[in-house]
Amino acid sequence: MASTSSSAAVVEERESGRKRKRGGATGESEGAEEAQPSKWRTRRVHEIYSSKLLDAIRLVRSGSGSPASAAAGTAAAAAADPQSSRAVREAADRALAVSARGRTHWSRAILASHHRRLQAARRARLREPASPPLRHPTSPPGKGPKAPALARKAKVLGRLVPGCRKLPFPALLAEASDYIAALEMQVRAMTALAEVLSTVSASSSGTSSSPA
Amino acid sequence: MSSRRSRSRQSGSSRITDEQISDLVSKLQDLLPEARLRNNDRMPSSRVLQETCNYIRSLHREVDDLSERLSELLATSDMSSAQAAIIRSLLM
Repeated sequence: MASTSSSAAVVEERESGRKRKRGGATGESEGAEEAQPSKWRTRRVHEIYSSKLLDAIRLVRSGSGSPASAAAGTAAAAAADPQSSRAVREAADRALAVSARGRTHWSRAILASHHRRLQAARRARLREPASPPLRHPTSPPGKGPKAPALARKAKVLGRLVPGCRKLPFPALLAEASDYIAALEMQVRAMTALAEVLSTVSASSSGTSSSPA
Repeated sequence: MSSRRSRSRQSGSSRITDEQISDLVSKLQDLLPEARLRNNDRMPSSRVLQETCNYIRSLHREVDDLSERLSELLATSDMSSAQAAIIRSLLM
């Protein structure tokens, strides 16, 4: 991971040793950490994600420069156009999925759907015939909830968590636990970033005219 | 609570028992904000699933709102790589 300041990376290495168990995770080793949804509460993963998030949304800004906002006009520059807002959301989700390190269905599903979209766009540009979208081939049989009400709710849950529509019930519950923990971290990190950015932009725009 | 033996159709893997499922459900329950407030002993599974769905939806909404806020902030500010380094260190 390229970092612009090496000192930040050094600090991260030191702090990761001290503060890895901030959330109260019981496992010291990487293996135990990976299995628990509580891994999302560590300071280390928060920092890793925040850094990825910052990189990702900076790319969004430079990517959606002229074509989207030219039509909207300069007056809309201060408002968020829905395209860039969605692009930020998708970038944040992808960064979150990357931070999950490929151990969960939902994270793989997010990255896979992005990859498919990129491939489709690439093929459209090159005018090649599109290959059919890859889908998870089987719905593995497993223990499901016996009551119909539970089965209905499980289905709704399966649609809410990415890539989990056809999972058996126990796996779905495990994915949902991890996904919720990850989403909470995403909210914390995005909130912190928004605070920092609004502070930075407020101070940089207010320096010339603010009275003492 | 009736104790039913699970009929696992998965070949070769361990049986998934009602107990395992109820364990997963209670872990899910512990993640819910409502459960943290009231320190519930046990909610029925259907309630846990319902609250889980609601909670995920509300988290999605929060992320959408934050995305909008972030895209507004990015639109109004020009971020040099030096500023990005400062911001990165502020986040750590």
